[in-house]
Amino acid sequence: MNEHPQPEEVFDEYALGSLEGEDKQAFESHLRDCKTCARRLEEARARLALLSLAAPPITPPLRVREGLLAQVRAQSSGKVPKPAISRQPRRTLWLVPLLAAAAGALAITAVVLIRLNHRLSRQLAALEQKQAAMLAAQQEQQLQADKARRVLNVLTSPETVKVSLLPADAHPAPQGKAFYNSDKGLVFYAANLPPPPSGYTYQLWLVPLRGVPISAGVFRTDREGDGKVVLPPLPRGVPAKAFAVTIEPAGGRPQPTGKKVLIGAVS
Amino acid sequence: MPNAPHHTDRHPADFELIRRVANGDEAALTALYDRYAGVVYSVAHRVLKDEGAAEEVLQDVFYQLWCNASRYDAARGTMAGWLLVSARNRAIDLLRRRKPADTNSMEEPVPLAFNLESSVARTQLISRVKSALGILTPAQRQVLELTYFAGMTHGEIAEKTGEPLGTVKTRLRAALHTLRQVLAP
Repeated sequence: MNEHPQPEEVFDEYALGSLEGEDKQAFESHLRDCKTCARRLEEARARLALLSLAAPPITPPLRVREGLLAQVRAQSSGKVPKPAISRQPRRTLWLVPLLAAAAGALAITAVVLIRLNHRLSRQLAALEQKQAAMLAAQQEQQLQADKARRVLNVLTSPETVKVSLLPADAHPAPQGKAFYNSDKGLVFYAANLPPPPSGYTYQLWLVPLRGVPISAGVFRTDREGDGKVVLPPLPRGVPAKAFAVTIEPAGGRPQPTGKKVLIGAVS
Repeated sequence: MPNAPHHTDRHPADFELIRRVANGDEAALTALYDRYAGVVYSVAHRVLKDEGAAEEVLQDVFYQLWCNASRYDAARGTMAGWLLVSARNRAIDLLRRRKPADTNSMEEPVPLAFNLESSVARTQLISRVKSALGILTPAQRQVLELTYFAGMTHGEIAEKTGEPLGTVKTRLRAALHTLRQVLAP
């Protein structure tokens, strides 16, 4: 057996974990055989443990207590084995190393499971927090969606009265709306068009992606300046680039020659 | 034992609580938690300077207590001592990104010479420890705190403070010597 380490500091430094290298090894090998020194080390450890009390006091958040209880309950309900190591009575000598190995493996498994459980329960807490945030966001979205639906209800309900407001003294501007489906056909409405000069008519044009404009027919306007072209004969499957309305001599022309009064590109 | 409090059913002793924890008594665990969570959290926070990490240490220390209570030997150590050492060591392990060391194990008794079961006793001991540290020179105190709360080796402290290694060792030993005098039970 080595000599007792004389300086009291060695016990303190070992307890602090700051003893290193040969000093540490020598101390540990002595400690294994010397109960007196083991007792002195315990005293040093207890004395230095008091230094923990010098930390500025802070109150822990309540969630840790809740987390601990959740973890304990998860373990108690059998989701995680308790890593208690009970001492097995000896049966046969040859079994001992086998049992020791098995116990070791079990202990390692248990420790791994505990750590995993610990980590998972922390992740669960984080997920729950995230879920709460998502729930809040979802509720917000729900509110937005409800509002959008109410807006749509107003806009699409048959009972809805549609009123356009314009400057009181302005002459309403001419406008047109084309609904075009290259397979199903064309529906066109125009509004606020002044009557064409005598001997002239309005003519609607489909401007294809490639090639020259195709006539979609001539139309007249009523007293309010409204006109329409509904399902005119058109070649099928022609992608449109734009629609336009021109003023043409009565009966129309195969290609536009007159002034463009309305034009709209397919967006 | 100095300041030995009067134990009642409402304020059971630590050893009674730990015996109940070993039998799977959740209420006993929360009683111990309510008694010591503050000091455990404070030391973990002092070491890690991070709330999340300190919370992790706090929960971990008490979970270890729950799992290993049956291996705890009340005749050899005190619950409070084990908690104080465990909190510090686990926090240092986390700080230094080490795996939790075996030194945290329940089998290493920490026979604290003081009773910390009542909040009055805790407050008294805290102020006693603080005045003990107040006796140290600022340089001694710095070396002691870097060792205890940052887990630094002598060499690391020398590098950090720019002092020679010998000076660091001398200061730490002087600080430890003083603590042995003033923190004797």
